Amino acid sequence: MNAVFWIAKNTFLEAVRQKFFNFLLLLGLVMTAVSVGITGFNFGSSELKFIADFGFGGLFLFGSILAVVMSVQLFFAEIDNRTAITLLAKPVNRRAFILGKFFGVWALLGVFTLIMTGLLALVLALRQPALAQVALARGMPEPFLSLSGLGIFALLQWLRLGIVAAMTVAFTSFSQTYLYAVIVSFCGLLIAQLQYILQDVAGSAKSSLIVKCGAEALTKLLPNLQLFNLGPQLTLNAQGVPAGTIAEIFGYGSVWIVVLLLVTVWCFRHREM
Amino acid sequence: MKTPSCENGCVPAIEISGLTKDFRIGIRGVKLRAVDNVSFRVNAGEIFGLLGPNGSGKSTTLKIILGLFRPTSGSCRIFGHESTETAARREVGFLPEAPYFYGYLSGRELVRFYARIAGVPAKQLDEAVEKALETTGMTEAADRRVKTYSKGMLQRIGVAQAIVHDPQLVILDEPTAGIDPVGSAEIGECILAMKKRGKTVVLCSHLLGQVENICDRIAIMNRGKLVVTGTLDNVLTRKDQTTLTISGLDAFSEKDFAELDAFLRARGATLDAVSHPRLSLEKFFIQNFSKDPQ
Repeated sequence: MNAVFWIAKNTFLEAVRQKFFNFLLLLGLVMTAVSVGITGFNFGSSELKFIADFGFGGLFLFGSILAVVMSVQLFFAEIDNRTAITLLAKPVNRRAFILGKFFGVWALLGVFTLIMTGLLALVLALRQPALAQVALARGMPEPFLSLSGLGIFALLQWLRLGIVAAMTVAFTSFSQTYLYAVIVSFCGLLIAQLQYILQDVAGSAKSSLIVKCGAEALTKLLPNLQLFNLGPQLTLNAQGVPAGTIAEIFGYGSVWIVVLLLVTVWCFRHREM
Repeated sequence: MKTPSCENGCVPAIEISGLTKDFRIGIRGVKLRAVDNVSFRVNAGEIFGLLGPNGSGKSTTLKIILGLFRPTSGSCRIFGHESTETAARREVGFLPEAPYFYGYLSGRELVRFYARIAGVPAKQLDEAVEKALETTGMTEAADRRVKTYSKGMLQRIGVAQAIVHDPQLVILDEPTAGIDPVGSAEIGECILAMKKRGKTVVLCSHLLGQVENICDRIAIMNRGKLVVTGTLDNVLTRKDQTTLTISGLDAFSEKDFAELDAFLRARGATLDAVSHPRLSLEKFFIQNFSKDPQ
């Protein structure tokens, strides 16, 4: 565990010092902040929901790009530059190497999620009282905002990004090129994000047998990231989400991360450096 | 230089037996044999040179020793442990060829990182790091970012990370590549100092002069096979020839050795030494392993 910690710390440090992370973080922050100013184009949805959706979208979009690109980059950089050889020549097993890389990236995604959610919470909290006054003046119900719900959503997003990172590391563990790993990982992310559509295709009577089997296999082989889309319910809905459902999703995400890491360790153990 | 007396009885630092490594290449999985039934041992406390032309299987052998490759057949043991076990690398320090390190760390941070990875206890960390930096002459540049280092400094910091956990076995792959002659000599002294402290050093280098000066024994590989192994004297000395070093006389005759001795004495000259002529390692290498169509 000692080696895992130091590799993770080093990976995190390396990632934080890269321009790509800072660029995406800045882009996400600007997007969230700017959402306040463009609510005039919200096509009728409530302003608070518009800001929240904008923030949730930015968090997932930039977080996913970060998870894929950083996981591939930090992993391949070690192999391309042969720093992995120096590292694995120490009394460090490959499992510790994989776990260290993963936890380093996941820590980075945690910082990203925290900063993005922090700004979103600030924007929502500042805007909500003014919107509440307007609503009261118009005889409409006061818009609901739960910052604790937003906190739970942030944890769920961190878990979702963890799955994306674990999935990427798994693909990277057997990839031979950087580009291949990035493309396959984004394809995996897309499929994981479209699981309900795939489930519909798999269950549709109109689908051919091959399409049904293919869709069915993809729903089984990749995680369902749509389960984590609980932002509006947790943050803007007074009824919230039952604790049991949240616990189930946490369990689901954790199991997927463990499974993907086990697959990665198995693949990487057989990889010759 | 004398070979340490560890031929029998003590656990060898490295023991390789019948080692073979095949790679599958291309879509059809054509088999390429990189190492072919190689056996040798490196005794504890000696400096061992592993030599061979490019593509001879040295790097593959080193990677098997370090547990980075699994052998197709045969075995490789480090101080009695299978090289694939993590425990086998507790007592191993390694400097890769043309090392590349995390450029965003300072030299001191880098050595500290590898010390932690290698399991140096927190209480001994500062002392171990400073000692490694001092041994390699990197103390003054230790606070600079690694990405600002010259090639020679990268080699030195590489040696520092290899020895920071005070391993019993140090494997150096081309430690003097890109280093000027003075720096190269300093690394040579550093290797000799390790030997004095009882460490085992495996040296891969194309600087054959340096290998000849500091190695106790060598192994030479060619096309995946072990061609020669033994002490430098055994490998390089030509037993079929004799050289007389004579002071005060130009001529020499082997058959008339006794007469010559008397002859020399009668004329007040002395026979100072009789020895076998010896090739330089470089000459031996070029004669035996230069590329030819065969």
